[in-house]
Amino acid sequence: MNLQNINHLVHAYKIAPWRIQRQWIGNILLAVVTLAMIAALYLDVTAQAAIAGREIQDLTAGIAASQQASADLQTELAVLTSASVMEERAQSLGYQPIESNAVEYLVVPGYSAPQPQIAAVAPQPQLSAPKIIPEYTQSLLDWFAQSISLSPRGLR
Amino acid sequence: MRQQYAWRSMTLAGFLGFFALAIIFQVMRIQNSQEAAIFRQQASNYASELKTFYPDRGEIYDRNGHLLAGNKTVYEVGVNLTAVEDPNAVAMTLSVELGVDYAQTLALLQTPPKGLSYVVIKDFVEADKAATLQQLKATMQGQASAGVFGSLTGLEFKAHPQRSYPEGSLASNILGFVNREGRGYFGVEEKYDTLLAGNPVHVVIPTDPNKAMDIPHVPDGTTLILTVNRDLQAAAESILDDGIDTYGAKGGTIVVMDPRNGEILAMASTPRMDLNQFWNYGVIYQNASEFNPAISMPYEPGSVYKILTMAAALDSGTVVPGTQFLDTGQILVGGATIRNWDYGAWGLQDMTGCLQHSLNVCLAWISTQMGPQIFYNYMDNFGLGHLTGIDLAGEAAGRLKVPGDSDWYPVDLGTNAFGQGVAATPIQLMMAASSIANHGRTVIPHVLHTMVREGRQYSAPAQFAGSPISEQTADTLNGMLAVSLEQESSDALVPGYKIAGKTGTAQIPTPYGYYDSTATNASFIGWGPADDPQFMIYVWLEEPSESIWGSQTAAPVFAKMAAKTVVMLDIPPDSVRQQLVSK
Repeated sequence: MNLQNINHLVHAYKIAPWRIQRQWIGNILLAVVTLAMIAALYLDVTAQAAIAGREIQDLTAGIAASQQASADLQTELAVLTSASVMEERAQSLGYQPIESNAVEYLVVPGYSAPQPQIAAVAPQPQLSAPKIIPEYTQSLLDWFAQSISLSPRGLR
Repeated sequence: MRQQYAWRSMTLAGFLGFFALAIIFQVMRIQNSQEAAIFRQQASNYASELKTFYPDRGEIYDRNGHLLAGNKTVYEVGVNLTAVEDPNAVAMTLSVELGVDYAQTLALLQTPPKGLSYVVIKDFVEADKAATLQQLKATMQGQASAGVFGSLTGLEFKAHPQRSYPEGSLASNILGFVNREGRGYFGVEEKYDTLLAGNPVHVVIPTDPNKAMDIPHVPDGTTLILTVNRDLQAAAESILDDGIDTYGAKGGTIVVMDPRNGEILAMASTPRMDLNQFWNYGVIYQNASEFNPAISMPYEPGSVYKILTMAAALDSGTVVPGTQFLDTGQILVGGATIRNWDYGAWGLQDMTGCLQHSLNVCLAWISTQMGPQIFYNYMDNFGLGHLTGIDLAGEAAGRLKVPGDSDWYPVDLGTNAFGQGVAATPIQLMMAASSIANHGRTVIPHVLHTMVREGRQYSAPAQFAGSPISEQTADTLNGMLAVSLEQESSDALVPGYKIAGKTGTAQIPTPYGYYDSTATNASFIGWGPADDPQFMIYVWLEEPSESIWGSQTAAPVFAKMAAKTVVMLDIPPDSVRQQLVSK
């Protein structure tokens, strides 16, 4: 009899409407929290990507400005060291152009003058700009898809 | 009671559910409506922009790394019409700082053409001027709020590069210039325009910063390193200007070339222009051939041509250095009488004497001995009448009349032998004469030494255009020319150095078919040291008034240039070189 009562109580507990409602609420809340987390994560990644994109634009503009400044300085330097300026400067310092008959040559046995290097040795060519890493270009869905495809299960 | 609550809850949930569904339905309806399509279309117009990245134009350096042509930043000053607050202040400031018309600018700002939101007031504004304006804008911006001055809001500055020539007019005839549209004219700028300009890259860039994409790599234009030596070029221009002043010439040209490989070390001519003010081109030059006469202005060279006639005669076996010629002062060729420059008879001469005294009669006799076929074959092989292929824009081919041409007459065989009735540019004559200085091999003159693109370097090799004469002929004639200069005690000689060369004095043909009796072209071509030629110099003075003779005008200019060249190229005197060889 007692056992029957206990079973009856347990059954009543299991089918109690408030308990079912609570389960529903719990599930909905879980779904809402999950969606909120995904939304927050997506927003965070999107914001970071947007900031990085803007930084890239700023840096690109900075590079262009630096290159222009460099070209300006190079031209300015060339003006300051132009043939006419250098000649004037040499003359103001008391130098005079040497005549061919005033040059004295000294023969040094065994010495051969090095040939002037007209153009410098070429550096390694940089054929393209550095690539942007995927973290800045992938969407969250892309990342999921990539993760799944790269997982051992996905590779199977 | 409990059932009642349940019913209410269900009703409320149903209502909320319906409300939610209605929202979703409305959202979907809006998203798929006609208006949404229009908005999407409008948004897509701004989703990306086609951007063109223009590479910086390649620089031009001399062989020692001195910048001859570079780039500098200039500004486009414009006004954003939607942002202008005080048109009076903007117009007044621009009028004072940039010199634009105040009334016109104010009218443009107050009543702009329909549909315009931005107007360019002035382009290619120098950086310092733009900086002054920017500072003024910032200052007035601060004071405008206090109501003291008008605001310059709306004034905008866009930086862009412009070609700059740090050396001004130096080597202007070699370099050429670039106009504001970025197109090269004349010289290296035109010849290598495509390489220097590089390739613009067109890219569609999303405006959404979230859609990051690779920055396109835009390689700069190719950088060129020329064979020209800046300091030697400056010296050549200075010596040329002095020579023109001293001898009262109308103009002139000096070209210095390495006869071993065809590298042009200097190429000076007059007039020259400051390349930073290229818009003066029309004021300075009457026609395009004046920009660089050394390559684009053929003229009758006169006696410098005799070295080619003698080379042909020696190589064909028509004469040997010891061949004797009795000069009677005149010779009949094709029914016309040819006389010497002094109308004199020089008696018995060997071939060196013919060159030393520059005897027209002797050279005309030589050409008739060769016959037209051999003579013109040699001249053709020397490159006369053809482009040399020098890498400068605007080269002219000159003219070599040959038998069969409608305007060729038998007398031309005699007159062509001493450089009359034939038109050639200084660079053509240098190329032809290089075969004599270079043991029979003709070099192709060039100004490009190396090009650098994206860190890769390409050096232009020396190129040869064949061997019109044998090595033995070249060396023999080289010796004859050195001896003839020494025996003549020419003004072209440089103490300590053995020089080979030849003067030229040519009458100038008039448009009426006869020669001007008062004006001449004075020329000199020479090279040294004669036993190991390392430089070849061509001097051409147009119509010198102090003396009409090349030996008295062009020859001393040559000597001055040669003396400077040996110092700047570190070529020791013959005695020192012989010491070095013996050790």
